[in-house]
Amino acid sequence: MIEASETRARAPAARGLSALRLIRRSGSALVIARWVGAAALAALALSTPGFLSAPSLLSLATTVSFVGCVAMGMTLITISGNILSLSLGATVGASAMIFIVATNAGGPVFGLVAALATGAAVTAIQGAIIGSVRANPIIVSIAAFALITGVAEAFAQRGAVFLAVRSAASAMHFQIAFIPSEFVVLLLVTALCELILKGTVFGRRIYMMGSSFRAAEAVGVSSWRVLAGVYGCAGLCAAASGALLAIRYGTADMTYGAGYDYDAVAAVLVGGTLMRGGQGSALRTLFGAIFIAVVEIILLLRGFRDEWQYLFSGLIVSFAVLLQPRQGDAR
Amino acid sequence: MILERLRSGSIAKPLAVFTAVVAIFAAVDGDHMRFLSGSTLFSTLETFATGGLIALGLGLTMIAGEFDISVVGVYSLAGCVAVLTGAQSPVLGAVIAMAVGAAVGIGQGLIVTRLRLNSVAVTLGGMLTCNGIAAVLTGNQSIAYPNVNVALAIAQPILGPLTIRSLIAFAMFGAMAAFIAFTRPGRDLIALGSDRRAAVVAGAPVSALIVVVFAFSGLCAALSGAMISYSLAAASPSGLTDVLLPAAAAAILGGVSLGGGSGRPIGLMFGVLTLSVLRSGFNALGAPPYANDVAMGAILLGVGTLDGPDLWRRAASLRLKLAEMRNEFAKQD
Repeated sequence: MIEASETRARAPAARGLSALRLIRRSGSALVIARWVGAAALAALALSTPGFLSAPSLLSLATTVSFVGCVAMGMTLITISGNILSLSLGATVGASAMIFIVATNAGGPVFGLVAALATGAAVTAIQGAIIGSVRANPIIVSIAAFALITGVAEAFAQRGAVFLAVRSAASAMHFQIAFIPSEFVVLLLVTALCELILKGTVFGRRIYMMGSSFRAAEAVGVSSWRVLAGVYGCAGLCAAASGALLAIRYGTADMTYGAGYDYDAVAAVLVGGTLMRGGQGSALRTLFGAIFIAVVEIILLLRGFRDEWQYLFSGLIVSFAVLLQPRQGDAR
Repeated sequence: MILERLRSGSIAKPLAVFTAVVAIFAAVDGDHMRFLSGSTLFSTLETFATGGLIALGLGLTMIAGEFDISVVGVYSLAGCVAVLTGAQSPVLGAVIAMAVGAAVGIGQGLIVTRLRLNSVAVTLGGMLTCNGIAAVLTGNQSIAYPNVNVALAIAQPILGPLTIRSLIAFAMFGAMAAFIAFTRPGRDLIALGSDRRAAVVAGAPVSALIVVVFAFSGLCAALSGAMISYSLAAASPSGLTDVLLPAAAAAILGGVSLGGGSGRPIGLMFGVLTLSVLRSGFNALGAPPYANDVAMGAILLGVGTLDGPDLWRRAASLRLKLAEMRNEFAKQD
C-alpha cells in the first residue's frame, strides 16, 4: 500500500531514482555495479603515480588494519540484527590502555590476555543484556560508551599511559616479507570471523537471529547466549585493534579508537552487508575497508587534503547505503 | 505494580526521574547551598539550551520509529555555516544554517521513505557527509566568529535566568508539544510510530510525515549548532561531535522508546533537564569530570534495560523457575 501511494506521488524529478531502484531490485545488477565500482577504483589507483610504491602500500596495509579489526566485530553485530554498536571505539581505547598497564606489570603476553579478556567481557555483557530483555542495541552501546569512557578517565588521571620497556612489546611487532604484522592480524581475524559465520552452528544462529529474532527464539535458540557470544567476539576484535595500536605507538589514551565505530560501520556498509541483519560476510567487510582506505590513499597521493578525504568517505558510505536492498513494510 | 505504571506514563516517568535526581543532589549537598544556587540553575538552563533542541529533533524521529544519527553532523555543519555566513547579520546566518539542516533532513527523509532504507544507515551516511562538507568549508580548522557583540548578547540572561538560547529551546518544546497534542498530523505522527501498517491503513500521510520529522530534526540540530557557535564565537568541523550520546540519553530518559510511538515532547524536556541537572550538579559539588559520564551511562543502561520489551516476560519465567526449584527442595525435605 505504501508502494501504491508512492508510485502515484512520484514526481518526474524522482525518475533518476528509477535506475537505482532497478539496480537494487535485481541481484545480478547489484553484483555488476559492485564489480564496476571495484574496477574503476583499481584503474584509478593504478593510474595514480606513486600508488604502487612500497611506502604507500605499507601505509595502506597498516592503516586499514586498525579499523578493519573493529569492522569485523561490527560485521558480526550487524549480521545478528543489531545494526551497530557505538561502544567499540571506546573499547579499542580502553583495551589499548589495559594492554600497556598490564604489559608494564607482567609482560606482553599477560598484557595481551588482559586486554583481550576485558574487551570481550565488557562487550559480551552488553550482548547478554540486549539478548535477554531485547533492550535496544544502540542505547545499550551508547550507555556502555559513557561508562567505559568515564571509568577509563577515573583510572588514568594523567590521560595517557606509556610502555615502560618498549622492546618487550615491539618484539610482537614484525613483518612477514614486507607485510606489516597489523595486516597479518587483520587477515587472521577476518578468516576467523568468516569461519565462525560460515562453518559453525553458532554462525548459523547469528544469521538466524538476524533474519528473525522471534523465529530464532521459537526454534529454541537462546538469544542472550548467542548475542553474548556475538558481542564477545566483537569485543575481542576491538581489543585486538587496541593492542595493535598500543604495540605500534608504545602509548595509549582514550583518543585511540575515537570515531572507529563510524569508520567500521562504513566498511560494513561499503562491503554490502545487509543493515537489517541476516545477510553478509566478514570477507565483504574486508573489501569494504580496503575500498575506503584505497580511496583515501588515492586522494592523498593526488594532493587532496584531509577534509576532502572526509567528504569522499561520507559520500561513498551514502552511496553504499543507497545500494542496500529495501526493507519490508513492517518494522 | 508502581514500576509498571511508571513504565507506561509518558510524562510522569521523566518527571519522577527528574525530581529524584534534583532531590538526591539537594540532599547530598545539604546546607552548603552549592547545588540550590542561581549559578547552578543558570548552567543547567544553558546546558538544556544546547542539548535540548538536538534531543527534541532526535526524540521526534524516535517517536516516529526512526533514528537520526545525522544530528551530530548537522550540528557541526550548521555551526560552521552560521559562522561563515552570519558575520554581518547573525539572524541571516542562523536562517541559512537552519535551511541547510532542514534540506539535509528532507533529503534523508526522502531516501528513507522512497527507497525504504534503514534510517540508521541513511543518517550515518548523512552524518559522515555533513562532517566532510563542514571540514571542506572550513579548511578542516576551527574558524572564529568576528562579531563578538553577538556572542556576548546571546549569553546574557534576559528573562530571569533565561537567555535567548534557552528561551528558544523552551519555545520549540512548547510548540512541538502543542502540535502533537492538538493537531491531526501530530496524532498521525504518534500513530505511525506505534504501528506503521495501521497508520497507513487509517490513511495517515506516512511518507510525508516521516520527511517532515527528519526535516524538523535537521532544523533543530542546525539551530542548536548555530546558536552554540555564536555564543562560543567560534566553530570547528569536528569539535562539537560529542552530542549524540546526551541527546539519545535524554530521549530515552524522556520516555521515548526506540520501538516508536511512546514519549511526548514534555517528557523529553524533563529528560533533557535531568541530564542538564546531573551535569551542572556534579560541577557544583566539585565532583571529578568522569562522574557525569559514569552516572549518565549507568542511568541510560538502567532505563534502557527497564525499557526492554522482554524484561517482564524474562522476569516472569525466572520467577517460575525459582518457584519450581523451591518446590523441588520442598519435596526433597
